[in-house]
Amino acid sequence: MGIVDLTSMGESQVELRNELNERLLRLQDEISDYCYQCAKCTSGCEAHKLLELEPHKIVALLKRGLIDEMVNSDVIWTCMSCFKCRERCPQKVAPVEVLFALKNMAVASGKQIPGNFTALLQSVLSTGLIQDIKSVTTSDNKSKSRSDLNLPEVSKPVDPAKFQMLISKLAVEKV
Amino acid sequence: MKSYVLYPGCVMPTEQYAYEMSIREVFPILDIKLVDLKGFSCCGEPIKSVNQMLSLALSARNIALAEKEGLDIFAPCPMCHLALSESKRILDSDPKMNEKINKFLLDEGLSYSGKSDIVNTLDLLYDIIGIENIKKHVKKPLKDLKVATHYGCHLIRPSEIGRPDDSENPQKMEKILEAIDAKPLDYPEKLDCCGALLTTNLPESALTKTGQKLQKVQEHGFDAFIDTCPWCHRQYDAKQIKAGETVAIKLEVPVLYLTQLLGLSFGISNEKLGLDLNLSPVNKLIIGGK
Repeated sequence: MGIVDLTSMGESQVELRNELNERLLRLQDEISDYCYQCAKCTSGCEAHKLLELEPHKIVALLKRGLIDEMVNSDVIWTCMSCFKCRERCPQKVAPVEVLFALKNMAVASGKQIPGNFTALLQSVLSTGLIQDIKSVTTSDNKSKSRSDLNLPEVSKPVDPAKFQMLISKLAVEKV
Repeated sequence: MKSYVLYPGCVMPTEQYAYEMSIREVFPILDIKLVDLKGFSCCGEPIKSVNQMLSLALSARNIALAEKEGLDIFAPCPMCHLALSESKRILDSDPKMNEKINKFLLDEGLSYSGKSDIVNTLDLLYDIIGIENIKKHVKKPLKDLKVATHYGCHLIRPSEIGRPDDSENPQKMEKILEAIDAKPLDYPEKLDCCGALLTTNLPESALTKTGQKLQKVQEHGFDAFIDTCPWCHRQYDAKQIKAGETVAIKLEVPVLYLTQLLGLSFGISNEKLGLDLNLSPVNKLIIGGK
């Protein structure tokens, strides 16, 4: 099981994509009832000023069913998941959750995943953790490892093969 | 003495050693025993954008490992704490999902039952140990050190999932800092995000978020900036110089983990608290009376 199988649109992921689509349609139904476009989400959005993310517009586009357009847009990847939109919405709509679903959909549709997400996934798959154990540099430029600092061995999956099996099974599973 | 399984996550045990060192020094003094376990993996939160199901199941797997010990779980990283708490909430309230995830866990001989509580650094210090107990151990009061607190988004939101402090006006860190005689002061940017989660795909923007907040903290004249999240800390401490470049100023803000500052007030040595691993100018601080 390679990382390509995990993230690209093979035959096995048709079901996953259908499921994600259902999830988005469900969100669309819920949101259409509640969101009245007050834009309180956007006024507090951490990615708004810097990267022009407008959560209320994401919700408006979802209401109009323009899911493919959003899945194909880079803007969904500007959310830093601070959860302020979800916290502050007077109608309990959660744009951040819509964005998670859209990003999952983009991945399941075999789109190019931006940045280092692939490396991150690959690392989780092979070691259980998102990155390798590093040596760090002190303020006076000495290199220190965990054992230099008397820290115990890092906890990670005991049987990597079994762990990889679990991940590969899960990655194509319905949400 | 109460025991907790220490769930280290990824960022703390692979690079943010000062947090782990200060945690391992401070909590035993406060009568909390930390139990190390084999077999943990990533909590799943950093790959939620890629696959939420994977994220949910990874968290459940980690909880299940700890449950075998019959102990509650201490997750010092707010991201991990949110991921585990969310997974617990879903599995406890959705029998279908519970059954489905448990089927996956069976391959590794694990099962999720929902017995274990999940606590964070703030829960432990404020709610379980308590301010009065902390005060008893202070040997070097911080004498009016003016500090800015940074909670980190995942520690306080979404409140629906049950977070350690209030989403709009968190005060537990302030209360803890007052207990060691520091002087936490409010500032308008307190709830601003560090941007760390953009590092994966928009690293420049992540640094800009970090720089913008630190610039304000510096302008306000704080002596130190205190956090509890390894992701936030990496931004504000290790990447401080680069973050300064994004806002075109020289940043010189000492950034410490809450547990490091507590340790200092308890009289623990700089070395044991990993203070030489902080790359921000922490040597500017004078602890134990100016």
